[in-house]
Amino acid sequence: MEKDLFYGGAPKWVPGAGTTSASELTELNNGFLNLSTWDQSNFDSALSSLVSSPSPSPSSSSPALDNFVIRELIGRLGTICSASGDASPTFAGSGGGSGSGPTSCYSTPLSSPRSTSPPAPFAPAATSCFGAARPAAPPQQFGGADTPGRLSRASSSRSLLAAGPDDEDESSSSVPDGAPKPGNARKRKGGPKGKQKEPPFPPSPAPTTTTTTTTTTITTTTTKAQQRDSNAKRSKPANAIGPEAQNEDDAGEKKGKESNARPPEPPKDYIHVRARRGQATDSHSLAERVRREKISERMKFLQDLVPGCNKVTGKAVMLDEIINYVQSLQRQVEFLSMKLATMNPRLEFNMDNLLPKDMHQECGTMPPPVYPLEAAPTRTFPFSHQPQGHHHPLQSVVNNGIEMPLSSSLHRSLSMPLPPLDGFADASSQLGTFWEDDLQSVVQMGFGQTKEAATFSSQSLHGRHDVDISHED
Amino acid sequence: MTATGSPGNPNPNLSKPMLVHHFLRALARVNRAAPKQSHARRSRRIRCAAYASMAAAAGPGRRWSRVLLRRLRSSPSSHRRRISVRVARPPRIATASSRVETLRRLVPGGRSLGYCSLLEETADYVRWLDAQVQLMQSLVDFFSS
Repeated sequence: MEKDLFYGGAPKWVPGAGTTSASELTELNNGFLNLSTWDQSNFDSALSSLVSSPSPSPSSSSPALDNFVIRELIGRLGTICSASGDASPTFAGSGGGSGSGPTSCYSTPLSSPRSTSPPAPFAPAATSCFGAARPAAPPQQFGGADTPGRLSRASSSRSLLAAGPDDEDESSSSVPDGAPKPGNARKRKGGPKGKQKEPPFPPSPAPTTTTTTTTTTITTTTTKAQQRDSNAKRSKPANAIGPEAQNEDDAGEKKGKESNARPPEPPKDYIHVRARRGQATDSHSLAERVRREKISERMKFLQDLVPGCNKVTGKAVMLDEIINYVQSLQRQVEFLSMKLATMNPRLEFNMDNLLPKDMHQECGTMPPPVYPLEAAPTRTFPFSHQPQGHHHPLQSVVNNGIEMPLSSSLHRSLSMPLPPLDGFADASSQLGTFWEDDLQSVVQMGFGQTKEAATFSSQSLHGRHDVDISHED
Repeated sequence: MTATGSPGNPNPNLSKPMLVHHFLRALARVNRAAPKQSHARRSRRIRCAAYASMAAAAGPGRRWSRVLLRRLRSSPSSHRRRISVRVARPPRIATASSRVETLRRLVPGGRSLGYCSLLEETADYVRWLDAQVQLMQSLVDFFSS
């Protein structure tokens, strides 16, 4: 019967397959037959043949073609889901490292026997899955081989299998109604998964759906499930593997705990559990993990920015601190702008003179060449301009005198963004320190403490005072 | 304030010279344009100039800078008072959502940001706000000395 089903379905694949072809079908058969030898390459080829990516491999003889083929199908399904160590398909490997074998509901009981003889465990696994999925189906003969662990796997596999067609919504009629929830779960999985990992997902089911519709339900479900699993795993590597791997691990652990009969498996379980369950929590857990990491990273950075937040732990208090800090900064801006408004009358003239000079000089000083001009004689630079300043009337002199430190500082600041600041200011090269240094120089000049600036500084100081007085009136 | 870049920051180091450049120009413009204006009006203009120079120096790589520049350019007369100032609001009951909402209001352009992006924008905004405050403080110190 299975033979009929299988062989009946096999030719149907050809016409129904959008992308599959007869060659692919032969590859499929070969892939099925390869299960017996269970070489990894064969497995990959089998999977790839399933997924419409050609990689035929020599087939090996199989005792009972019909049962064995179906058994292999299911076994492959289980292998895909559980991804044993020796099987280690590309998906599993990419998903989370295939070393210890990605654990899943399936893999736990399978892992031990799998190491010994691949086909044997797969057969019962397949039978369990199959038997669970299709109690009325022919492979009830397989049901006897179920072990408790396999049964648990079977339930999960049933959900997978049942969910497959439900999700595809094409062969739903043939699918047993025993698993509506997993189907919905799978649908949900398809939904949120789509937000992150959907891109590789939709294209691959497309060709399979066409094929599966025409094939028997058994093959449909299995292939669909396999397809989905492979797609799920493919979608995982398609995305950022690094961060996702961790997320997968955590999600896998979560899923491992969530599934009743599943012992908590190592992280490799993630992919398969996710694919199997198809619940929103899977993609949620993954997305949540990524999101949480990003948020914690940003909170750490904010902690460094906001002073006094090092001891604060917890997002709520941190948020409060951040809000307080931002509010205090904005208040400071308001206050300082008021202060600048009050003292600006003294400076507007200077600013006026400052502006054109700054513009000319800024345009000129923005490129590095200007820097060497002002590198060394930083303190003397303003004084070098003194002769020019002297030519102007008092106010312009004063302005120049006052401008020079500012403009020189501007030149310095503009042409030499950071490294020169270190030379002038503290090693922190903060603007505050830079300004302080500059202000000190200006003040020194203003008070004539610098010998070079003695004359000019006094003049500038007096000039400034004169200007101040004039403007204050 | 450190010069380390926030995650995904287009500019790891704050361009303080640009800040100085923009702010001084704006300050000069304000002083030149309306020396006879009322104190409050001038202070408001200077405040706008501060935010504008902040946004200009930060560049269009940030959402808050783009929003600020748009606000300031669109209609300076009407929008002058709306420049991201909810300063005097007292802290209310700080639930999680309210905190996030408050942060959204504080950071320009934060209303349509996700929580993660909001944190990133807040970090950048805080860095530039800090630099701006430092610059203004040093200016005040300089001009008052």
